Amino acid sequence: MTVNVTRRQFFKLGAAGVASSSMAMMGFAPESAEASVRQFKLTHARETRNNCTYCSVGCGILIYSHGDGSKNVRQEIFHIEGDPDHPVSRGSLCPKGSGLLDFVRSETRLEYPQVRAPGSSEWKRVSWDEALDRIARHIKKDRDANFVERDETGRTVNHWTTSGFLAASGASNEAGYITHKVVRNLGMVAFDNQARV
Amino acid sequence: MTAEHQAEHDYGTTPGGVVEPPAVVLPERRLFSHRARRLRDLSRRLRSMADFLGFAARLAQAQHQVLQKRTSTFAPDSQAFDLALEHGMPPLSVQSLQDDLDWQEDLDALCDALELNVGQPQQQLIQQLRQLDQEDRRNIAIEVLNAGTGTEGIRAFMPLVAAALQVAWLRQSSALSRPPKRAEGTAQTVCPCCGALPVASLIQVGRERSRVRYMQCSICATEWYMERARCTTCFETGKLDYVGLEGEDGRRPLPVRAETCGDCESYVKIVHLDSEVDADALADDLASLGLDIMIARERDLGRSSYNPWLIAG
Repeated sequence: MTVNVTRRQFFKLGAAGVASSSMAMMGFAPESAEASVRQFKLTHARETRNNCTYCSVGCGILIYSHGDGSKNVRQEIFHIEGDPDHPVSRGSLCPKGSGLLDFVRSETRLEYPQVRAPGSSEWKRVSWDEALDRIARHIKKDRDANFVERDETGRTVNHWTTSGFLAASGASNEAGYITHKVVRNLGMVAFDNQARV
Repeated sequence: MTAEHQAEHDYGTTPGGVVEPPAVVLPERRLFSHRARRLRDLSRRLRSMADFLGFAARLAQAQHQVLQKRTSTFAPDSQAFDLALEHGMPPLSVQSLQDDLDWQEDLDALCDALELNVGQPQQQLIQQLRQLDQEDRRNIAIEVLNAGTGTEGIRAFMPLVAAALQVAWLRQSSALSRPPKRAEGTAQTVCPCCGALPVASLIQVGRERSRVRYMQCSICATEWYMERARCTTCFETGKLDYVGLEGEDGRRPLPVRAETCGDCESYVKIVHLDSEVDADALADDLASLGLDIMIARERDLGRSSYNPWLIAG
């Protein structure tokens, strides 16, 4: 390369820089640039890379939010679009992915664990610890009660058919591998993935 | 899968699938005429900058005329570029072009085309430029090609000399038999054709390049792929902020935002062709000079790109 990239200097184009710029020296009024933006204000936004959560394709998305991340500014997502740099999807999204912004802002979006006890019509908010303990307890209880080591002819089967598992779609290959190992090791046979939904 | 593999059946055509955007795109010869039209449009929109943008429009129009009229006497070996392309070297080496190309004749032709169409101060400037000897003009060209700021004595000449270099360089880059490959590492911060700095970045449109970001070379106008949401200078992603201008009514005056990076404390403009399809990297960078001034008021950041028509002091 003929231009040495380590030698880079960054130019400052503030009002002072413009006053001594080529524009001023060629005979143009440097203050005209400032005048051109007098009625405008600066806006700040972020662009964040992520993956669509809907299915196992895992299309790349760009999430646009207001605010520059400073403390007093509320971050708010205002736009989501396909990531044109993503090698799998190259910026395309299906109708579900295109509707992600409504998904994020949905009033009925579930944001925390809730429990509806048997016989009750009320949903009660619980902590993540409570929710995970409760799920673990139910799983163990059901497995202890219904795990089948041998079938009626005496063959070893080691299966558990009374509970099922629906895995998440936005997971990587590695997460999928671990999920598979955990679920199959418990003997669970009813196993599916949300990616098929 | 590419469009060529689309299958036709009773229900129409299956979608073409994922199209990979080209890594490097060579410029078209009508670039200067597009740029001139855009600058004329911008000079009408931004009344306070009308003089400067109007002059820039006439300069771009003069570039177009010179490119149409003149043919270069420079005739390289037909395999000269192939060798460079084969070995991943920029085919248009600045060092050899500044000596081999007859850009000084382009500069004279540019002065002829421009002289009667500009104001008094710029006419004087053109006359002074004509009186400089070849060596002085060559030194100004070297300063432009090194992306320098120049001394006060030559700064006013730099945009005019740069305009001639752009004509001479684009004549070569637009005629290359094929674009060079994508550069690797920090070499991605400079033009893969000629090694110059970018003028700004563009969000492109079109079937193959829809919403993909490209850098445009400040001299030969070659465009090269650069991932979005990543600093184009230091390649960090953590401290990016997209700064734009907005009116009371929420209206954006120009399709331009600046991608600022807190890691290397620099920024580059992003010109959104997906907002205004006739926008131009160099033209919209000039017209959004007010954005640079407002950014400078808020934070101490430098421009990582180089616009040879607006040399900072």
